[in-house]
Amino acid sequence: MTDGARHPIVSLRDVEKFYGSYHALRGISMDIGEGEFFSLLGPSGCGKTTLLRTIAGFEEVSSGHVLLDGQNMDGVAPNRRPTNMVFQSYAIFPHLSVAENVGFGLRRSGLAGDEKARAVDEALAMVGLAGYGARSAQALSGGQRQRVALARALILKPRVLLLDEPLSALDKKMREQMQSELRRLQRHVGITFILVTHDQEEALIMSDRIAVMFEGEIAQLATPQELYRRPVSREVADFIGVMNFLPAEIRMGSGTAVEADIAGLGPAAIDSAQCPGALRPGRAEVGLRPETMTILPEGAPGEGHVAQGVVAEQSYYGDMTYYVVRLDGVDQTVTLSMKNRIGRAVLEPGMPARVSWDPRALLVFSG
Amino acid sequence: MDRDARRGLLLISPTALYAIALLAAPLAAILLFSFWSQDFLEIDRTLTLKNYREALTEPLYRLLLWRSLLISLAVTVVTVLLAFPIAYFVSFHVRPGRKALWIFLITIPFWTSYLVRVFLWKVILGFNGVLNTSLIGIGVIDEPLTFILYNANAVVITLAHAFAPFAILPIFVALEKIDRSLLEASRDLGESAMSTFFRVTLPLAMPGVVAAVLIVFIPTIGDYVTPRLVGGPDGLMIANMIQTQFLRLNNAPLGAALAVVAMVMVSVVALAFIWLNRRWLGGDGR
Ligand SMILES: Nc1ncnc2c1ncn2[C@@H]1O[C@H](COP(=O)(O)OP(=O)(O)OP(=O)(O)O)[C@@H](O)[C@H]1O
Ligand SMILES: [Mg+2]
Repeated sequence: MTDGARHPIVSLRDVEKFYGSYHALRGISMDIGEGEFFSLLGPSGCGKTTLLRTIAGFEEVSSGHVLLDGQNMDGVAPNRRPTNMVFQSYAIFPHLSVAENVGFGLRRSGLAGDEKARAVDEALAMVGLAGYGARSAQALSGGQRQRVALARALILKPRVLLLDEPLSALDKKMREQMQSELRRLQRHVGITFILVTHDQEEALIMSDRIAVMFEGEIAQLATPQELYRRPVSREVADFIGVMNFLPAEIRMGSGTAVEADIAGLGPAAIDSAQCPGALRPGRAEVGLRPETMTILPEGAPGEGHVAQGVVAEQSYYGDMTYYVVRLDGVDQTVTLSMKNRIGRAVLEPGMPARVSWDPRALLVFSG
Repeated sequence: MDRDARRGLLLISPTALYAIALLAAPLAAILLFSFWSQDFLEIDRTLTLKNYREALTEPLYRLLLWRSLLISLAVTVVTVLLAFPIAYFVSFHVRPGRKALWIFLITIPFWTSYLVRVFLWKVILGFNGVLNTSLIGIGVIDEPLTFILYNANAVVITLAHAFAPFAILPIFVALEKIDRSLLEASRDLGESAMSTFFRVTLPLAMPGVVAAVLIVFIPTIGDYVTPRLVGGPDGLMIANMIQTQFLRLNNAPLGAALAVVAMVMVSVVALAFIWLNRRWLGGDGR
């Protein structure tokens, strides 16, 4: 679903933002396509909210430009931009009823009273709050407030909907439900959603594309699959999902082949396509996802790449078990996950484990 | 009575006793007095409505009651209208670290006695006062302004100044409580800064405005120091007449009746205001 082919609705051109001497956004350039579900993902304080507020018009850029639908937004106030925002705190007006909140932005729409009422009812129905209009906004649960905030923004049919961590205040069950509902809603209305989150799982589940931000910069912009499989740097790899890092020695082979000697796992031939960034001989780190390794059952033939180790920790998740295995001969542990199939015993700490791994799943990060 | 209720009663009893001794008891006494009558030096203890009849029909008393009401309303309007921008400025445009300092500065007038402040206004507003001399000095006027002292205007100016901090503080607190993201949400939903003020800021500040109105309106109607000192004959208020009845004319029952009438008037206006606010301004703290 990645396409620069989509008509870009939001374009950022070398956007810089300073708070005093603090450099909050550093040269951000990207295009977000029409109808895309786009996420800004990054650790706390990396500038996600700042970037979102820059698009909404609540923050002036220090330099660079924000374009919405091809129009330069320099000096354009938030109320004149084709964007609407769902605030992290939801910002529900406490002095108004649910219906008054949802209809707040319709005052300038030119709709007649009964048309407005109908639009409000439709918007409430869309977010599953039909019949809640007369309630006081203060008597709502967190999830209901979130829906009101959503309906209030969507009723204005913005070109871009901005969402600042809208789900972080909800409990796990509610969050998962809202994730799929948001996704469904976005497909239904076809509006571009830009979601800020620090939850990588949420970003992976919901987005067409994700921009990973570190310290005011875009570290990687990619589809969820690309991001998970081909992180461009060790930092991104570390931030997205779980990844094991092991020191390795790299020797260049002929053509695109590379020879790696990995601590605890042994030698492996890998393709240079598995090396994001510059590939240099010498010391490097290899990354391995937990699900690309398995513990072989006792007595099973150990072909291919197998390393010996001892289970150090075990965490049982019901459907999965996570193991931390201490590899023999080196002071290294790897985390790996196993599906709990029928007939597969759960290993206990202290038990020996033979770890099978696949060189094709490796990523090499040259230091 | 369970333990909690007993403990609660014990906790409030000092305050409650104090309130009963110094508020409820005198109030009851005033009420009782107002139904008695003065018979030269004696008090006639037969219950009668004669004082009320007099209070409500005698033109002078009616004039004073009416004027007191108008002056209090004027003071309230002026004070709250002046206090709101100040509270707004401190809440929205002063850096968070400086707000306490500003509030502190606003309370500085309280460091001098009320009486001194009223006298100062006399000095400022007088025929040869600071204001007139300055205005003549810079050539704005040729003759001293006379409509600013010894009349109702002077009372309004002086009382508005005296009560300003009482109005600023509750409005400031109400403004401080407004979640700033609500204002951004309003802008985001298409409203200008101005309409955001009227649709979000003002309704949410209403509890503070109501508090300010009541805090200013209720005590001003009973003020007698300011009208006495700067009001002149045309600026006298009902409290001055009550004082006169009690101390000079030695007609405590009539004074008491006037006091009760003034009190009822204040209560009616205050309740009407609260009701209006609930009904029309949505200021019921939803
Ligand atoms: N108004 C401001 N003045 C000064 N610095 C600010 C201001 N707003 C944000 N910052 C700084 O800019 C940086 C980025 O802030 P931002 O709110 O965008 O982070 P974020 O990525 O949204 O983090 P979180 O996930 O915690 O919400 C932070 O270091 C923050 O301290
Ligand atoms: Mg944030």
